[in-house]
Amino acid sequence: MNLYREILPADCPPEAAEEIVRPRIVYRLVDGDPPADADFDSWRVKNPEAQPRTASECEARGLSVFSRSRDVRNLIELSSAKEARICQVALDRGAGHIQKTGRRSHYTWWPWADFDILARCQVMP
Amino acid sequence: MKAINLTAVLFYYDGVQVFEGRDAIGGHYVGVGIGPGISTNRYMVTGAAPERLRQFRGGRLDLRTLLLEAPEGEWFITVDQEGGDSPLYLEPQPVPVAECDCLPGPNFILEDGPDGLVDDLALQHARERGNVIFEFSVEPPEAVAHRIRMTTLGNILIRVQTVVKRAYESAVRDLPERTRSSLATTDGHLMDVVVPAAPGSFRVLLEAVKPPNMFGSGELARGLQRLDAVFASAADPDTVRETLKPYQGPLTGSFIQLLQFLVANQTGLYYSWADPLAMASQHSGVSEAVARQLMEQLSGLENIATEDVTITGELELVKRSAGDWGLLTASGVKSGKVSEGGPSLNGLEVGKRYRFHCLESIEVDGAGKEKAALYLQKVEDA
Repeated sequence: MNLYREILPADCPPEAAEEIVRPRIVYRLVDGDPPADADFDSWRVKNPEAQPRTASECEARGLSVFSRSRDVRNLIELSSAKEARICQVALDRGAGHIQKTGRRSHYTWWPWADFDILARCQVMP
Repeated sequence: MKAINLTAVLFYYDGVQVFEGRDAIGGHYVGVGIGPGISTNRYMVTGAAPERLRQFRGGRLDLRTLLLEAPEGEWFITVDQEGGDSPLYLEPQPVPVAECDCLPGPNFILEDGPDGLVDDLALQHARERGNVIFEFSVEPPEAVAHRIRMTTLGNILIRVQTVVKRAYESAVRDLPERTRSSLATTDGHLMDVVVPAAPGSFRVLLEAVKPPNMFGSGELARGLQRLDAVFASAADPDTVRETLKPYQGPLTGSFIQLLQFLVANQTGLYYSWADPLAMASQHSGVSEAVARQLMEQLSGLENIATEDVTITGELELVKRSAGDWGLLTASGVKSGKVSEGGPSLNGLEVGKRYRFHCLESIEVDGAGKEKAALYLQKVEDA
């Protein structure tokens, strides 16, 4: 049985990733309000044939989230995200693993399969 | 068809969103994802003047303006199917760039600097050399031509070594006494330059003077982990007054001096480091724009760069009129001044033991040389 939302390669999430055991807020773009399950598909699911450019296959199968809302607001400026909305996701024990990756407040999140993301995703005005 | 190589990821979110590239003759390009959707591998690309690209990377120019300055309005589309380090092939577009509805809005600014260079030199060299490697890059105005003023390079090396030294001392101070006394070295912070000018922005690679132990663990890593914590604490200028407090003292003092230097020289500073056994390098840094904001926030704080210290020893020297004193301690003579409004030196006897409660601050002269200054606040018999 797969514990994670997506099938992950061996040694993924990496050892340096921490299991989420305390409440924390992260921000992610979603396509609409209400958000849909597909808003939480990884780059790999959306690009099944393409090869990741700089990220590892493990990161490509994780979800990008920011811990600061201003970082995700920057993204809304891009034409590819002009229609997107910002979702505030309340993570807690059982949400999976998370690791600080890249600069700013960017994290890669590998959710557990049974973590109900949509119930914890609040689209911001 | 024109091709470029991706040289740096400037913004990452579910894939590369903004990147920098070079063509075969060294021309500079910037690319941005245009969808459909954010997890895209389709990008618009324009040429970019090196100086304007530098300003964008430093958070001083927005992406839309940079793209609109495309030479002769020429722009391209590329689809990144191959990934890895394969070239990106550019398809010229017939309409002027200003008419493209794929342009970003006016507020996309790389406030915190780029995500990082594609090549992980720190990790590569750490594995090859079997040592802890620290790589940093700076981008003063002259660096667009891959050069740097001698004084700038000399001063940045001194300031980087100083802040790493303070970070190391801070980390060692927090160790349990037993661990601290068992350390084989007290100068684990020292670094040598091993690659003085790596390709890319002006990049320098340094390695630990003291090699790692038999388990591959180097003392320098202890200091660099603390340095990561300081940079992480200073990530948000709005909260930095609070988040930097745990590192109050000489470490914060040397960090502020580094920021002052970056602002004065119109550059950010980015670094990565790795030990030989690391799976990936650690990286952090600060853009010029954020360094400026941090300085604004920190400039009004008087005490953040000072630390309370207590020294005990025999009074060796006292100049009452000037407020100067010297105390012979187990680690040599410590000298200082009476702080403003501090205690009188009258009545203190040369040769007698005292406990001096002082404020210590680190002051740097014009040549970048550090000097600890002690300001006496309270005296007790010891």
